[in-house]
Amino acid sequence: MSLFLPKLNCKKDIDEVIKGVAEKVVVLRFGRDEDSVCLQLDEIFSKTAHDLSNMASIYIVDVDKAPIYTRYFDISYIPSTVFFFNGQHMKVDYGSPDHTKFVGSFRTKQDFIDLIEVIYRGAMRGKMIVQSPIDPKNIPKYDLLYHGI
Amino acid sequence: MGAYYCAICKQTTFSGGKKHIFGKSHQSRLRVVLLKFTEKVKEARRTLRKPQVEKFDCTQHKLTFWCYCCGAEVEKHVTDDNMTVMYGGLIEHMATRQHKKNTHKFWWENKADPKIRDKVLITEEEAERFKAEVEKVLESFVEKEDEHIKEQADFIRAQEKHRQEVFQSLLERNEELEVSNGPSSSSSLSADISARCQFQSEGSDQPVRSVFVDSVVEVPQAAVGQELTFIGYQDSSTCGNVHTGAFPPWLQDDPLEGSSEAAPQAEIGPSLQEFLKQKEQEKLRKLPPNRVGANFDHSSHTDANWLPSFGRVWNSGRRWQSRHQFRQEEGQKKKQKRKREQHGAEASKKTKLNEQPTNSDM
Repeated sequence: MSLFLPKLNCKKDIDEVIKGVAEKVVVLRFGRDEDSVCLQLDEIFSKTAHDLSNMASIYIVDVDKAPIYTRYFDISYIPSTVFFFNGQHMKVDYGSPDHTKFVGSFRTKQDFIDLIEVIYRGAMRGKMIVQSPIDPKNIPKYDLLYHGI
Repeated sequence: MGAYYCAICKQTTFSGGKKHIFGKSHQSRLRVVLLKFTEKVKEARRTLRKPQVEKFDCTQHKLTFWCYCCGAEVEKHVTDDNMTVMYGGLIEHMATRQHKKNTHKFWWENKADPKIRDKVLITEEEAERFKAEVEKVLESFVEKEDEHIKEQADFIRAQEKHRQEVFQSLLERNEELEVSNGPSSSSSLSADISARCQFQSEGSDQPVRSVFVDSVVEVPQAAVGQELTFIGYQDSSTCGNVHTGAFPPWLQDDPLEGSSEAAPQAEIGPSLQEFLKQKEQEKLRKLPPNRVGANFDHSSHTDANWLPSFGRVWNSGRRWQSRHQFRQEEGQKKKQKRKREQHGAEASKKTKLNEQPTNSDM
């Protein structure tokens, strides 16, 4: 539950986290605490947070509290999870149209753990985009609308 | 019948103990055994007339032998840790009545040759004679030992004397030198002199000075230690000294710490924070150097408008361009908002609805 994961309420906090956490993957979940899919995702996070504590730090962000980041990361569906390493954004190819964030919840805890591991290893090697190890049928589907045309 | 164990053949026979004794194998083994045994006794007999007493112990003189007749281990020699009577134990044992009985029994049971039996036994008279001889020999041995010790003592004394003479001769030489140089000031240790004795350096560079000429003259009679320099009587009645068990000065804090306050009191080395930082840096060194954000300065101060380097969804340019673009869009949006607010409420609602879809564009 999001009760056990640290929350970030303003831009400053988010900045501090992104800049401050060193040599570990920063996982930012953007969403709302009441949303059902967010709840599922939060549960997966809280259960795996301890085991992944050496590789990743997980934080919860409410989309309504930091609108600038919501716009910057272009978050249209919640929950969206964005990954950083040493202040640098990590892109992951999930087989979905958007590589910058993970939209939706994970099917199992193991999926999330695998993903974190792949991101960590890639980052250690200097890769800024990695290939997701999750089975594509477990990735939630959504329509990304290309606006602006 | 029953189980019969023969100690000589080292076998258990079930068919008949007495029968096997007359057999070939037993008799041959018996002969071997007796031969060995009698050899030992022969050696001992040689010392019957002339007992040997030797010094020293340990390595050889605590040996034991196995008496087949009695079926027991017996000590060969008799010792009292300073001297030993060779074969004393053997002879004593052989003289005992018990041993005689056992010997007879052994011979009867194993059907051995009776002629050999006598060799193994030692009569009581012989034993008595042996003991008397032993006493005499012991006395003479002790005398010899004493003589030897005296000789050694004499030798040591002679060496000591020789050394003293050498020492004295050197002193006399130094005395002559000193007399020729004239009167001299006080205090130099006789360690100087003794050092000279050791290295036999002649023609001294520094003139030898000694405090008391009298003591130099007295040297041949007095002990060597009295040529030291005297530095005054140490009065420790107020504070106490090592013999009275006073508090040692190196554990006392007060006198020195009052004067020098700066360096010795301050802690040496890095503080705890620096140490922890150093530990973290050590860990960092182990990480691969080409990882993402390796040169990212985590503590660098950024202003409120800072945004992380985020690669946008649809863009193909560099990452920082996404930030640039975002700022542009923000700027435009703000301008548009202001304009629409001027126009009116309804109009602004409509434009807001229109704005949202335009969020995720290039």
